[in-house]
Amino acid sequence: MTDFQSPLIELRGVVKNYVTKAGSFPALQGIDLDIYRGEFLGVIGKSGAGKSTLLNMITGVDQISAGQVRAHTNGTSVNLDQLSENELTLWRGRNLGVIYQSFQLLPMLTLAQNVMMPMDLSGFYHPRKSKERALELLNMVELGEHIDKYPSEISGGQQQRVAIARALANDPPLLVADEPTGSLDSVTADHIFKLFQRLLDDNRTIIMVTHDQGLLPRFSRYIQIADGQLVGEGIEL
Amino acid sequence: MRPRWRKVLSDLIDNKARTILVVFSIAVGIFAIGVIAGAYVIISEDMGLSYAANNPSNIEIRMDDFDQDLLNTIRNFEGIKEAEARRVFNLKVRIPGETQWITVDVVSMKNFDENKINLLQPVTGGAAPEKNQILLERDVLEELNISPGENLEIQLRDETIKEIIVAGIVMDSSTGAIDFLAPPLAYITSDTLKFFAEPDQFNRIFATVETGQDDDEHIRSVIADLTDKIEKNDYGIGRTFRSKTHEHPLEPTINAVLGILMVLGVLIVFLSSSLIANTLSALLNQHLRHIGVMKLIGGQNQIIFRMYLVQLLVFGFLALLIAIPAGGQGAYWLAQYIADEMGFSLLGYRIVPLSFALQLAVGILVPLVSGFIPVINGSKVTVQKALDGDRVRRSSGEDSEGKEEGSRFEEIQVKTTRALADRGIRIPRQMLISLRNTFRQRGRLMLTLFTLTMGGAIFVSVFNVRDTLHTYVDNIGNYFMADVTLDFERPYRLEEIKQYAYQDPRVTHVEGWSYASAEILFPDGSTAENISILAPPGGSDLVSPMMIEGRWIQAGDVKKLTVAEGIYDYYPNLEVGDTIPLKINGKEEYWEVVGLFKFIGLEGVIGYAPYEYISREQNLANRSFSYRIEIQEHDLASQEVMAKDLDAYFRAQGFRVQEATPGLSTLDSAAESLDILITFLLIMALLTATVGSMGLAGTMSMNVLERTREIGIMRAIGATDLEIIRMVIVEGLLIGLLSFGLGIILAVPFTYLLSNIVSDAVFATPIAVVFTPAGYLIWLGLVIILSSLASVLPARNAARLTIREVLAYE
Repeated sequence: MTDFQSPLIELRGVVKNYVTKAGSFPALQGIDLDIYRGEFLGVIGKSGAGKSTLLNMITGVDQISAGQVRAHTNGTSVNLDQLSENELTLWRGRNLGVIYQSFQLLPMLTLAQNVMMPMDLSGFYHPRKSKERALELLNMVELGEHIDKYPSEISGGQQQRVAIARALANDPPLLVADEPTGSLDSVTADHIFKLFQRLLDDNRTIIMVTHDQGLLPRFSRYIQIADGQLVGEGIEL
Repeated sequence: MRPRWRKVLSDLIDNKARTILVVFSIAVGIFAIGVIAGAYVIISEDMGLSYAANNPSNIEIRMDDFDQDLLNTIRNFEGIKEAEARRVFNLKVRIPGETQWITVDVVSMKNFDENKINLLQPVTGGAAPEKNQILLERDVLEELNISPGENLEIQLRDETIKEIIVAGIVMDSSTGAIDFLAPPLAYITSDTLKFFAEPDQFNRIFATVETGQDDDEHIRSVIADLTDKIEKNDYGIGRTFRSKTHEHPLEPTINAVLGILMVLGVLIVFLSSSLIANTLSALLNQHLRHIGVMKLIGGQNQIIFRMYLVQLLVFGFLALLIAIPAGGQGAYWLAQYIADEMGFSLLGYRIVPLSFALQLAVGILVPLVSGFIPVINGSKVTVQKALDGDRVRRSSGEDSEGKEEGSRFEEIQVKTTRALADRGIRIPRQMLISLRNTFRQRGRLMLTLFTLTMGGAIFVSVFNVRDTLHTYVDNIGNYFMADVTLDFERPYRLEEIKQYAYQDPRVTHVEGWSYASAEILFPDGSTAENISILAPPGGSDLVSPMMIEGRWIQAGDVKKLTVAEGIYDYYPNLEVGDTIPLKINGKEEYWEVVGLFKFIGLEGVIGYAPYEYISREQNLANRSFSYRIEIQEHDLASQEVMAKDLDAYFRAQGFRVQEATPGLSTLDSAAESLDILITFLLIMALLTATVGSMGLAGTMSMNVLERTREIGIMRAIGATDLEIIRMVIVEGLLIGLLSFGLGIILAVPFTYLLSNIVSDAVFATPIAVVFTPAGYLIWLGLVIILSSLASVLPARNAARLTIREVLAYE
């Protein structure tokens, strides 16, 4: 259930410029946005509109040129732009799960090891406990029978489910997904959305970037971006 | 296993070729260091001990025949601990039925059981010969294949041929140690002297000093006093030698040579570190996405850093596993080889702690130091850069400097191509792509060029040094230009010998030479060093000296000499025109130095004075014991035939020939000693070339791997396998040829440096550097082959992939 009283993430006047040979290119031009607990926020826009850049600002993967991104997670509030690279890594490890269109699994590790990796890196779970949790998560995404397989041995849809399981490894309140269904067929994509719904029911927040207008009904709220600016907003019921 | 360590393990196992490349490049350096450090320690320890174990003489005096009375006097002389007298004479020996004679120095002893100085170590057969038996030093076996119990044929001076039983083979690390150009040795008892038609008298003293056995100054002063005493007893002294008990006479030379090899070993380590740095940069570049993912899911810088640090340590550990045992064996093999050549024995195989520690340090530190910067850069990379790779760098302008440089190069390329096209010269498109690809990864290109250039420069330098040394030996040969030296047991008139010699149409020139042995004195009258004064006729055609200063000898010179630069050891400020005190024929005289010339420093001091003066002083005017003969052909084979023929001819005419020796034989053995050194230098050069080519192979495979997607696109738009392969090979060749160009420039200072160090160690004098095309041509051929081979495999692998596989590559 969305809690519109207290935002999880606040973006205020976020600007991002890229410097190219041709000059400065504004990817985001003063974005103001609140993201609330429990909502499934869709970020819609055409290719090059600034969707992924916006996502990178929220995850702290890229540095903002101006403005502020404030996160209120796990009882603490931080300005992401004031954190060092290492502090951002720690913050992400505890508060954020990221899912990419290209899955970004480590090819040399089995599915279980891929899921265990965030727990190993953050040290939140004892190694034995982390294995149990990885199995739980893989069972949740219905891949419990394939834990010892390598990413190259399973389908794209299955890889995306492993990526979701990995994103949930440290039990973060927020999931960020960049075109997670972009390279999947409609049946598999449907499967992923069902999984997202279960996570939303579990009171998690999901931000999803897509260029596909047809996915609008899937979101609890959506924003539309064009040329680095918010051009529309809506609530789906 | 925790996932992070599982990843490290997988990285090591999954890319076996890369792991092997890195491990071997570290191992080559560790191996080289292990071999040289190990051999250095083994030789330093064993050479002195093995030498001292045989109680080597501190003093050797070659003199007129003497008897037991003089020996007793010497034994009672103050400062002398032990003294033994022996008779040494040379003789020709051969295996019965064979035609080839070899010369040996026969040493006779009164009693082998009571021998206390210059002890012999039995190798096979008996340790002491019976009457009319002979013991052979193992060096003889290099020229004669003979075993104890078999007969040896000997030729006496009167040409009588006899047979004698070989009692055994022994090793004598003392007697011959001081003079490595001397013939091999054989041993008999004094009661066998009669069998050889030799008088039962001594002509050499071997003695040890009471105190200060390792004090060169003390030994020198004992020799000076002892020779005074001997001369007062009316005995003439030929030459004296001195050596320390615990230091093999050639130890400083061997240590200097090992020092040079160590410098090359360190260089190999240095080169392998640049290879490691290169490989690790590429590895981290390939792992950027993995690093990005790990950072995205909570991997802090220090965790990533530790993961790759462990990987480096594993590389080092694996290299140590290979290099430590191989290096230990190699060290012992090298030490054994040197011991065999120098005639001493080793105490046995052992692990050398210093070498082990050095290898361990190199194995751990080299990968850590060389990989530190790539790893720290890799672990610090931001998530976005890591995930987006090159795309981000280019769009964000953060790498603008490199981009501009790249653009500048591309601009130059485009302009050049257009200019050439205007003149009707078209460079194929694939060639242009190869050219551009070569300069794409400039950091990697620099490191590869550095490694390959250094390897090439050392390789070429070694060939130059080889020619430099050989040329110097050839120049030394200009002091010995006679094709045959004919020595007689008594002096003969010059005209008489010439008349007979010219009977043979092959003889073109004959000169009678004289010889005097003297001592160089310090101003206070004490002995500085022996000097051998050779006395060719003034204006001799058979000496072409390398003059440093002053002039060569002239027929009218009286008490004037030219002297080798070794004199500077005793008179460092000597100038032409100065006089030096000499003790010659028992008299102290002042001689004027009219010239200084270059020679081999280690062979003691030699000088030249005119025959005309020396022979008159020796009451041998117009007569000589020794003749130098020039013939039409100057090769060793002709000289050997001529020596044999002249020997036989003069004997047949009733002359008492002592020996006829071919001119090049001594030089050949000197050149052989140099070849041992050159062989080691070449091994080191090949190791550096190996590291260099490994660097190139690594670079090419990394370049191709990183361009897998690009290659796929090219194939998708119509490039054939052959075109892809050709492009990669051209790129490899271009790098190889660039390194060749740089290498030949760098080879110039390297050649000078290496030549100076080696010549100082071997000849104790700087020598003129010679450049030879051989090294350049061989290296050019090698570079072309190595560059092609280093590119072929990655090129074939790239060409084999299907378009789908390549485009799917991440």
